Amino acid sequence: MAAETNLLQAVKPAEHAEEDPREHLMFDPRPREEMNRMVMEAMTTTTRRYWIWLIALGLGVAVLLFGAWGNMILTGIGVAGVRRPIFWGVFIVTFVFWIGISHAGTFVSAILRVFKAEFRRPFTRAAELMTTFGLAAGALYPLIHLGRVWVFYWMIPYPNARWLWPNFRSPLVWDFLAITTYLLSSTIYLYLPLVPDLAMARDRTKGWRHTIYKLLALGWRGTEAEWYRLRKAINIFAFAIIPVMFSVHTIVSWDFAVGMVAGWHSTIFGPYFIVGAILSGVAAVVTILFVLRNTMKHFDYFIRVEHFDALGKLLLVFSMAWAYFFFNEYLLSWYGGDAAVKQVLTLHATGPAAWVWYTMLICNVAIPWLTLWNKTIRRTPWAMFIITLLINVGMYAERYTIIPLTLGHQRSPFDWGVYNPQWTEISIALGTLCLFMFLYLAASRLIPLVPVWEVQEGQMAHTLRKVGKAEVPSVTELEE
Amino acid sequence: MAAKVVHLALFKEEQIDHAAEAISRLHELGISDRDISVISGIPYSERILGRPMSWTNIGRIGLAGAVLGFLVATFLNFGTPLLYPIRVAAMGLTPIPTSIVVTFELTMLGLLISTFIGVFVETISPSFGPKGYHPKISDGHIGILFSGPAQLDEKIHTALSELGAEVVHEVEEEKLWP
Repeated sequence: MAAETNLLQAVKPAEHAEEDPREHLMFDPRPREEMNRMVMEAMTTTTRRYWIWLIALGLGVAVLLFGAWGNMILTGIGVAGVRRPIFWGVFIVTFVFWIGISHAGTFVSAILRVFKAEFRRPFTRAAELMTTFGLAAGALYPLIHLGRVWVFYWMIPYPNARWLWPNFRSPLVWDFLAITTYLLSSTIYLYLPLVPDLAMARDRTKGWRHTIYKLLALGWRGTEAEWYRLRKAINIFAFAIIPVMFSVHTIVSWDFAVGMVAGWHSTIFGPYFIVGAILSGVAAVVTILFVLRNTMKHFDYFIRVEHFDALGKLLLVFSMAWAYFFFNEYLLSWYGGDAAVKQVLTLHATGPAAWVWYTMLICNVAIPWLTLWNKTIRRTPWAMFIITLLINVGMYAERYTIIPLTLGHQRSPFDWGVYNPQWTEISIALGTLCLFMFLYLAASRLIPLVPVWEVQEGQMAHTLRKVGKAEVPSVTELEE
Repeated sequence: MAAKVVHLALFKEEQIDHAAEAISRLHELGISDRDISVISGIPYSERILGRPMSWTNIGRIGLAGAVLGFLVATFLNFGTPLLYPIRVAAMGLTPIPTSIVVTFELTMLGLLISTFIGVFVETISPSFGPKGYHPKISDGHIGILFSGPAQLDEKIHTALSELGAEVVHEVEEEKLWP
């Protein structure tokens, strides 16, 4: 008994030391002036390595994306590997991937804002930027996939010379409308909370930066009326953009589910796609936060292990949810007894490309489940970086399994086929990755990546309150 | 009519209680809420500083945009098939379930874009309260901007200085945009 008591005494202080709330950003306030200076320094400091990366990525965009795409336009879509019976390949896989990544910003910023999850404060903008740039990268694919890109405007809702309108009952037109809505609204949602920080930047800069910030800050002074308007607008956006986010990936899933294709015609595809999108999006947020924390000045103050920890828990939950939907979809398809569907499922797991299917399961289920339950791993940024990269590899494998690997083995065995991605497709896919990174890297030195006013507001609301012998975190409700 | 002078009193971020007290003192000196404006680097709700509730049309503008989006969607869903009917097998010309998708997207697009337009229009619209700005505001200082009669200058200065404010007289209106 005595030995047990000694053991408990030995353990308890260590646990308390680990949980010291003062390690949290919200309980480690600094004067606003200092935080402003830190964010401005991070934004205006560029090293030689930064410029080398920026130029390399710019070249990547020019050569890999626009070079390969230009060549495909000149030569014809035959240079891509899509041909009968597989007409949807890497372009559509990558399109779904980027649309999935774009769910991160809305999830982190809007849903966590609505539920007042305080840990969101320092990285909402980093996540919102991912949404905008992820959508920008993804939105290129319907154009690339068209082949004859010069007729893209046929998708725009206006009549042609014969007074014929687009078919508004087609999921492809829904895609166009949903992505346009989401791109516009997420860009505005990025911009609105940025205005006070742009005003802060305006007050601290000269030359071209001052001119740009002055214009973009819309004359912001910080009056009560301005704050009230901003709050009201952010609230409207936070609530309205959530169903828009859900609709976007649901509609993407309907591109598949409305077809009578074995393995696609599933009523659960909508939520299954959404959960997968949030899983890949949140994973990408962690990846980006790791890079920002390690490359930008003072970011270790704003982005802390507590944030990796909290996002790690979210990832674990979404990995479980993804596994649930995957199993639900798999089991019922298998149980249905449709010979063609069973054949598709068998080929996924035992066919020549079964390694893609196993990569998906290992990266989306096994790795998160084996690692993210552990607090030490969740609080180790480099480990989280690797895990989240692997989750996104798994999510890419999922889309690859659903699209070309399913299309290759449909109801008529004489029409089976194998899809081999060609260099044009791989180059364009890598090119959009370069585009995303290029835009992010450029934006990191043009706009304050940390919403300073939101961090300061959070720090004001958090205090340590003495309850008995302990000091416990306490949050005051300052927001209306 | 006595000439009015515009003042700006700056309080440090930790002096929020003093700022609230300063507003009460200004009321006591006969300066009405209409002649006072608070500017700050983070949002303080009206109840914290004892100020009247702000008012905005953004919600209404957003709603109007949503209605407009709904009407456009209704036209696209039900108007365009009637303008040039194309019958495809047994498919309905104006089916309701598929129309819901376009209606939802365009209604939300109308709501969100008009909300932003509302913010933009209200922000750049002329306002009639006292104006002025100090870069210290974005460093976390709380500014109380007010206009009062020139003969009260000394009293105001004494009252606010006692509360720890740094008082700036006759603030020039700074052109912040465009």
